[in-house]
Amino acid sequence: MIRVQAVPEAATAIRTSGLSKRYRRVTALNDATITVPEGRISALIGPNGAGKTTLLRLLAGLTRPTGGEMTVNGGTPRQDPAFLAGIGFLAQEIPLYRRLSAEDHIRAGAHLNPCWDGESVRERLAALRIPLDCAVGTLSGGQRAQVALALVLAKRPRLLLLDEPVAALDPLARRNFLAILADAVAAGGLTVVLSSHLVADAERVCDHIIMLAVSRVRLYGDIDTVLAEHQILVGPRKDTSAIERDHRVIQVTRTPRQVTMLVRRCGPVIDPAFQASDVSLEELVLAYMGQDPPPTLARLTSIGDDE
Amino acid sequence: MTWLVWRLHRTQLYIAAALLAALTVLLLVTGLQMASKYHSALAACAASHGCANLASTLFLGSHAVGFGVIMTLGVPALFGLFWGAPLVASELETATSQFAWMQSVTRKRWLAVTAGWMLLAAAAWGGAVSGLVTWWSGPDNALQLDQFKPGRFDIMGIVPVGYALFAMALGLCAGALARRTLPALAVTLAGFIVVRSVVTLWLRPHYISAVTVTYNLFSGYTPAGSYWQLAQGIRNPAGQLVPAPNGAAIDGIPLGYLPSACAAAGKGGPPTASCRQALAAFHGFITYQPASRYWAFQGIEFGIFAALAALLIAVTAVVLLRRDV
Repeated sequence: MIRVQAVPEAATAIRTSGLSKRYRRVTALNDATITVPEGRISALIGPNGAGKTTLLRLLAGLTRPTGGEMTVNGGTPRQDPAFLAGIGFLAQEIPLYRRLSAEDHIRAGAHLNPCWDGESVRERLAALRIPLDCAVGTLSGGQRAQVALALVLAKRPRLLLLDEPVAALDPLARRNFLAILADAVAAGGLTVVLSSHLVADAERVCDHIIMLAVSRVRLYGDIDTVLAEHQILVGPRKDTSAIERDHRVIQVTRTPRQVTMLVRRCGPVIDPAFQASDVSLEELVLAYMGQDPPPTLARLTSIGDDE
Repeated sequence: MTWLVWRLHRTQLYIAAALLAALTVLLLVTGLQMASKYHSALAACAASHGCANLASTLFLGSHAVGFGVIMTLGVPALFGLFWGAPLVASELETATSQFAWMQSVTRKRWLAVTAGWMLLAAAAWGGAVSGLVTWWSGPDNALQLDQFKPGRFDIMGIVPVGYALFAMALGLCAGALARRTLPALAVTLAGFIVVRSVVTLWLRPHYISAVTVTYNLFSGYTPAGSYWQLAQGIRNPAGQLVPAPNGAAIDGIPLGYLPSACAAAGKGGPPTASCRQALAAFHGFITYQPASRYWAFQGIEFGIFAALAALLIAVTAVVLLRRDV
């Protein structure tokens, strides 16, 4: 007897469908359909201008979509205190009032949020030896980023949207911050989406990935699943149409003697001529992004190509 | 929200308070001097029954302070430029809007509280300056009867409060649309000057239909109190307007327009009886707004600018709530 048990779908923090944002002439985001389950740390990866900021701003409700739908924390982004309380958003510009001190920002947060942990900010900044009473404008870029990150965490949001949060931090501060994020997520009730163009950051703490290139979502999902779905196939240079029919070929590199393919598998690869190996996140990201790869890479991989 | 508004703008308020205090001291000191000078002059002329030409013989105060008082015409524009225009524009320009608007406070509430307090501050400061100027100008108004005239009307009573509200709302709206401080400043200044000029020159004379009085040239006519004269002139018996004299004239009529009976008088001789009779057919007229309408006009003009301010705030709200920020 087979017992069918309804598997409860994991709660989703973000679900978008066909989400688009067109400005007068440019399309910043085109037909984006993604899902981010609750409790993930998702890396939003893509080259500059891929639409990462647009996607984050749409999710935060700062920008209105021109097409498609989205559900964030169970609702549509809107101007409503309850919705806003559930979202923490940190823009790339690290927006802080330059003439106000960190302490002023902490007090402002206490006045503006129903659930505010100002003490955590004071502790973190004290540990980082960042003065609380100096105008924020006099702090270094990295210190400002630390203040802004501490403030956005103090809001205790359910969903944290961070636009290039670690760009201004030194490697050690970057590592510490990512560790803090991981702890906060582990404590429960928090989902994070952080944009970056560095795969190394994503590999360190993220368990989910959204890959954007040229305003389109190329790939999204749990990193483990995504990696398991992809394989590098190396085999003799021969007809590859069978593989191309059965699987989705992301990238092909041909040399006179052999062919290397990165494929998204649909079922097992049964051609014994090909040797399958696992793919690293970095390789995967580069393959998806570099569907026209950088010129140096292109030159190297086409050595001896007789076509 | 109120705390953040206070924290962000308290420096501006301190500066405005200091400037207001300085103006208060200046006007209080000179105003008291003027009042005592006026009252002693009035007592002196009453004793000698010679108060009729007091207005032309007595000069109150100093030119410098008087000029400063006229300059309070520009005070409302300062609220728009220094408080209104940067309010939204600098938030957008420095991206701090993404801090303010991503707390658990809706943009609607942010705008309501911010604009509410800043409009209140503008109204309070505008009202304080206007109150001081109105009090300071009291003796001068009693003497010159000019409080209804453009330039004076605009710095006294309740209209400066309306201008201040309008300038603040204009700055806010320009900032929300331009999204940058400098263009917002330019738009605010230009918009304020244009609207104020249009209202003063073309709308204000028509709030209530003006009164026209036709009078005999020999007796003359002066409306009572601080009236606002819109037009004055002389019409010939055919009802045509006689141009203002630009040279020799009799009773304000240029020689060329005199009736033939006055030909001799035109050459320098005394007006004959027939000339006087012919002149009696000419009439003077004056078109004016009576002094009794002063507060009605103040109320109407205040209402116009308060309504414009409300409209601009509504536009700002639509821009901030409906457009991408």
